Amino acid sequence: MSLKNDCFILAIESSCDDTSAAVLHNDKVLSNVVAGQAIHEQYGGVVPELASRAHQQHIVPVVAAALRQANIDKKQLNAIAFTSGPGLLGSLLVGTSFAKSLALGLNLPLIDVNHMQAHILAHFIDEEGYEKPSFPFLAMTISGGHTQIVRVDDYFEMTVIGETIDDAVGEAFDKSAKLLGLPYPGGPFIDKYAALGNPKAFPFTKPNVPKLNFSFSGLKTQIMYFVQRNTEAQSDFVNENLNDICASIQYTIINIILDKLKKAVKETGIKSIAIGGGVSANSGIRKAIKDGEAKWGWKTYIPKFEYTTDNAGMIGIVGYLKYQNLENKNSFVDQGVSAQSRLKI
Amino acid sequence: MKITYNLSQIDDVAQNIIASATCSQLLFFGDMGVGKTTLIKALSRALGISEPTSSPTFSLVNEYRTPDDGIIFHFDFYRIEQPEEVLDIGLEHYLENGDWIFMEWPEKVLKYLPEQVTEIHIIQESEEKRSLTLQNKC
Repeated sequence: MSLKNDCFILAIESSCDDTSAAVLHNDKVLSNVVAGQAIHEQYGGVVPELASRAHQQHIVPVVAAALRQANIDKKQLNAIAFTSGPGLLGSLLVGTSFAKSLALGLNLPLIDVNHMQAHILAHFIDEEGYEKPSFPFLAMTISGGHTQIVRVDDYFEMTVIGETIDDAVGEAFDKSAKLLGLPYPGGPFIDKYAALGNPKAFPFTKPNVPKLNFSFSGLKTQIMYFVQRNTEAQSDFVNENLNDICASIQYTIINIILDKLKKAVKETGIKSIAIGGGVSANSGIRKAIKDGEAKWGWKTYIPKFEYTTDNAGMIGIVGYLKYQNLENKNSFVDQGVSAQSRLKI
Repeated sequence: MKITYNLSQIDDVAQNIIASATCSQLLFFGDMGVGKTTLIKALSRALGISEPTSSPTFSLVNEYRTPDDGIIFHFDFYRIEQPEEVLDIGLEHYLENGDWIFMEWPEKVLKYLPEQVTEIHIIQESEEKRSLTLQNKC
């Protein structure tokens, strides 16, 4: 992409649990601060993780930390990008109001960003060792709250072609773990134990869901029965077979995902696949998708982990792309903009 | 009221609940995997929602619009650790503005929920069968 407008962008994300701020110079992320990490250590005290009120406590120090780490003065900024939706309304309002106030105070243009588009466009952050996908490609966003396959024809030409009709993938992992007596959220534990077990030890059936949509709640109920039935016969069944059970659950979830991806590739003829969202950290899923390169001629892209979970870096890259007028419309919004909890791609 | 049902009858059960519930705020009690979200999806269908409805475990609350512009809020308090956190979500605002409020895992935040509610308890009778009891408190 030829660079038209050199810019520094401050980005703010507050759609769900985490408050985050980032500073970008063009498509390079100079800083990407997520509250709950550095901020906690610096300010001490326990902040309730889920509280939207926590966003209010976090937002000023998080933005200050992002500017400081980027070594940028707020007077150098060219625009402010913020998540306008989708998300929890109370949480979105904190970031939206802060971004509007700061833009008004500094007399800067405001750019509203769709959180789900940002998960996809995170692949365009310039990062050494990471290749950017070329259009068209299929983006699969998998996280605690989302499971979507999106056809991406250009930066701002996206079509959702498949999504979950009940639980998200991350939720399936976390709730399966809970049914096995592992702590919540237990997705990472399943991944860890799965590596040590036999994926075909216990067969679980895959749901029969039409089109490119996903369903995971049936698997959850299957696991519940499976645990009930087996612990009746043998009380320490789960502990004795934990690795094999986790491997079998993970194998089933991966197959559900792969089946739909293969179907999406077949229907669209697009073989470039870009993965995003926090569950893309799952080692079994990463391997299965990567194996698709040799097996089915896919080209796969997985961004750096810090850009896959909810973070402001991905909001900033959308801000940058809109600042370059790639949206084919005036991408700046005025002070009348408001948060939209139900925003679609 | 007590109903025993299997999954294939869930749309009839949903119609029955809508006809029987005298409150617009419904609490759903039951273990994980018993079918709370599945029942609420059926209720949303019965109220005319055609868009995909998914689990709000992560988002905490999903919002849907009925064809006659009614607002449904579907809460899931599963992830709540401290009951006070629901105040930070703005629960009171939602309670005042929703035409229908469906709440999963209400036991996590009971002291902040209204008393005038319809309580639904779902129990697993066998692998296929569920039973629910409905109790109106308004």
